Amino acid sequence: MLDAKKVIVCRCEDVTLYDVEKAIDEGLTDLELLKRKLRIGMGPCQGSGCLLLVASVLARKKRTPVSEVPLPVSRPPITPVQLKFFAGGKSG
Amino acid sequence: MAKRLIVVGAGVTGLMTAKFLVDRGFSDILVIDRKYPGSGGSFRCATGVRASFTSREHIKVMLRAIDLWPKLSKELGIKYSRDGYLWLLSRDRDVEFFREAVKFQNSLGVPTRLVTPEEVRELAPTINASSVVAAVYDPIAGKASCFDSVTNTLTHLLARGVEVKWGVEARKIAREGRGFVVETNIGSLRADSVLVAAGDGSRRLLETLGVDLPIRSLPKHALVTEAFRPVFKPLIIDWATSSYIVQLFNGNFYIGADIPEVYDTVAKVKLEFLRKAARVWTSYFPWLREVYVLRYWTGYYDMTPDHHPVIGPVEGLEGVYVAAGFSGHGFMMAPAVGEALASYILGERPLVPEFERLSPGRFARGELIKEIAVFG
Repeated sequence: MLDAKKVIVCRCEDVTLYDVEKAIDEGLTDLELLKRKLRIGMGPCQGSGCLLLVASVLARKKRTPVSEVPLPVSRPPITPVQLKFFAGGKSG
Repeated sequence: MAKRLIVVGAGVTGLMTAKFLVDRGFSDILVIDRKYPGSGGSFRCATGVRASFTSREHIKVMLRAIDLWPKLSKELGIKYSRDGYLWLLSRDRDVEFFREAVKFQNSLGVPTRLVTPEEVRELAPTINASSVVAAVYDPIAGKASCFDSVTNTLTHLLARGVEVKWGVEARKIAREGRGFVVETNIGSLRADSVLVAAGDGSRRLLETLGVDLPIRSLPKHALVTEAFRPVFKPLIIDWATSSYIVQLFNGNFYIGADIPEVYDTVAKVKLEFLRKAARVWTSYFPWLREVYVLRYWTGYYDMTPDHHPVIGPVEGLEGVYVAAGFSGHGFMMAPAVGEALASYILGERPLVPEFERLSPGRFARGELIKEIAVFG
């Protein structure tokens, strides 16, 4: 039997399948809310690892197709950028 | 079936109002949001909490909020800490201004004080304070998690039978009999009373009731970096550039910086913001040059002519309440605002009398309030 507490869904923020299912059961039935509750999609990978996984868990729980689960807005930059590239000046 | 109350806007203000009502036994509440709970200013804000303002109204309201934040933190598991605010001053005229502001704040019980560049270096380790003439330190200011504030209040309400629906846009409110009907994309919703706490959508919605509030939205910009172990505690403001930086609970640095913007325009991502934010804060913290920006987003300050919010019953329209126009300070005062609105809705006067000075009718009466310490 799969132990949901041992299944890592988001590696950046150490979120387990158990955490996701618990939050959905509490009523956070939206990826935007799960993102703020669990920090999925807020690590350096920008959600590329976890968001679709969480979307599929949410779809299963809500008994809707994954295609009907709205994805959170992607914010720039697409990949992390160091502040020195915006600050200009001498390289440090 | 008519509800007892419809709250338009599931931001921190609307949710906390529902929480104070439910805790006092008021039930049958429906909260609606056009996008999702927290989707407006609540999830985008800098999460700072302070009473160091320059008007009696803001100070008194915020002192009540600072009393309530630790209680809510304990009850709802909202991360909150009194890590202070530090206002960096690099011009003599600013020091003179803040000397007066500190006197005023001290007279109302806010223990702000002027500090030297040496103290700045202690309060903000690793800072390059060479341009700092003096600073103001506010030890009772701090920060709260805006994510916890929305998600934990939301689950608290859901567990107590409050109905919260999102993806529901209120388009019109009209009187119907002794109550109100709210027209939405999912049909007509009815209630005895309505609270409009819909951020920058509040003005348009209240216009449908013939209420005109002078609220304009001003685009704002913020970014967040990757996370680190704690480096410095206070939220730090560079007064000369109206920019700020705060290390959030998770370790990320949140930076806001002021760039020229036009009222009532759509907020757009601008390279100019990234340049300004990076220049101001890498000069104070040179190591930030190596730090990665993870996300950049925009939002709005809902500004009123006197930079104070509009809170309370709408005069001449019994059963309609408003909480809008927070001018950049809605998140920090939400606990006190929720408590006060709950009092109004229960037919009582708010605990903090200064709330009555924030009534929607003050603009028509010409009773504007003066506040200068708006930044970011």
